[in-house]
Amino acid sequence: MKKSRGLGAYCAALYAFLYAPLIVMTVYSFNDAHRNVVWRGFTFKWYLTMARDADLMRALTTSLELAACAAAIAAALGLLASYALVRHRPFRGREGYAALLDAPLMIPEVALGVGLLSFLVRAGFELDFGALACAHALICLPYAVAAVRARLASSGGSQLEEAAMDLGASEWRAFLKVTLPLAMPAIVSGALLAFTVSFEDFVASFFLAGVGITTLPIKVYSMLKFGVTPEINALSVALLSSTFVLLGLNAWLSARAGADAA
Amino acid sequence: MLEKALSRLLAGKRPAASHLLLAPAALWLLLFLLIPALGLVALSFAKNGPYGEILWRLSLDNYRRAFDPRYVPVLLRTLFFAGGTTVVCLLLGYPLAYFLSFRAGRRRGALIIALMVPFWTSALVAFYSWIVILGKEGLLNRALLRYRLISSPLALLYTPFSVLLGLVYFYLPFTVLPLYASLEKVPRSLVEAAYDLGATRWTAFLKVTLPLSLPGVVAGALLTFVPCLGDFLTAELLGGPRYYLLGNLISNQFLMAQDWPFGAALTVLLLAGLVAGLWGYRRWEAAA
Repeated sequence: MKKSRGLGAYCAALYAFLYAPLIVMTVYSFNDAHRNVVWRGFTFKWYLTMARDADLMRALTTSLELAACAAAIAAALGLLASYALVRHRPFRGREGYAALLDAPLMIPEVALGVGLLSFLVRAGFELDFGALACAHALICLPYAVAAVRARLASSGGSQLEEAAMDLGASEWRAFLKVTLPLAMPAIVSGALLAFTVSFEDFVASFFLAGVGITTLPIKVYSMLKFGVTPEINALSVALLSSTFVLLGLNAWLSARAGADAA
Repeated sequence: MLEKALSRLLAGKRPAASHLLLAPAALWLLLFLLIPALGLVALSFAKNGPYGEILWRLSLDNYRRAFDPRYVPVLLRTLFFAGGTTVVCLLLGYPLAYFLSFRAGRRRGALIIALMVPFWTSALVAFYSWIVILGKEGLLNRALLRYRLISSPLALLYTPFSVLLGLVYFYLPFTVLPLYASLEKVPRSLVEAAYDLGATRWTAFLKVTLPLSLPGVVAGALLTFVPCLGDFLTAELLGGPRYYLLGNLISNQFLMAQDWPFGAALTVLLLAGLVAGLWGYRRWEAAA
């Protein structure tokens, strides 16, 4: 038993390492000082400064719009693709499609970024909001596909769908009335993951953001590069909290999807 | 009419229906992934003109230049950091994966989600916090000074140490999850059998559990090593120019030096490393 306790303590230390930066920044976001290192008392002022920063709020709006577009595109493309991959009888090239759909996960984002940059510029496209949304949708697509595929592959749905068709429904009506409602939690959960990935993406945006577009991570990066203010702590905590909310929502949806399938 | 067409599309009795449903996603990948990748390959054989324009005089010059003594240190450093990160992550992560699989009991689900949270939070934000912790007047140095463990501040930030720390911090979950998945597949009955035959805990681990979890070790190593090769943000924020890695060199060619053909050649080398890694893994998997 003693050995087991040692292992437990080791794992606790590892978790402390993973969470140390998150805790430090949360604590310092309430620090009433212009520099990070000394604790001078509790304050909310950095959160107010952040909320009053018009540039920051514009960047936030851009990021939210971008993530919404990317998530919507990824969810739609992902649903169609997953349906064919899971429900259709095996066809030639299925493995190839599946590998291709996973590719954006494996390719380093720097390579994606410079590849898209050189392609878009040389093909004469503007590096605008649309271009960035398309790139984000590409990065998010594997997440949307994975969520919906897993749900469609779980057995419950296809039996119900067959039952509906035995009762005389067409494939389309069975899809609308049975499959889609059953898959909805997974579709939303995949879209939420996609939203999170897009919202936090820095590297691809860094290469593709043209003159006019500043997403929130790009704004944070430039604030970091040109002098650190405690405002960034507050902003980081706000970002962190939104991630927690999105992930919590996602866990709740997955649990619901699991409960439905049972 | 429309309902009938849609139904046939969904039924997927013919491959054409499957291809049609997959077409939007496939087109997206073609347009924004495959064509840009092929474009980079083409660009890597071109030449940079005096004003940053691209001259299509095809040659291998850019590849030759990548192995010029000026750039070899960056390539070697990238391999060194990726390898070092992989080793450290495996050593740190294996006991954690073992704990999650064999000892965590009911807390397992929560612990795995807790492991993923730092992965989902923005690396930008986490690295910024590491700057606050590791800086010359950062938290760590102040604490060490206060308790008189050191007499003058340690240089931690913008060193190889901080780059390695950042990489390990970010990629640890990538190592742990495959390790955990393969440890889950180790039949508990085999471990029990080893105990019944008189093996000590340690022997049972060395002779049964560890060999059976080897696929996870290889997968975890690959999933750590390959993304590390293309890492960009860690050295950018925690390393500074002296410790730039391949990802930073590529980014500089595209954003600062405006030498796209050379940057493209470096990216192709990076992608070749990735493909070689995946190919080797497939071979190993097929042989195992």
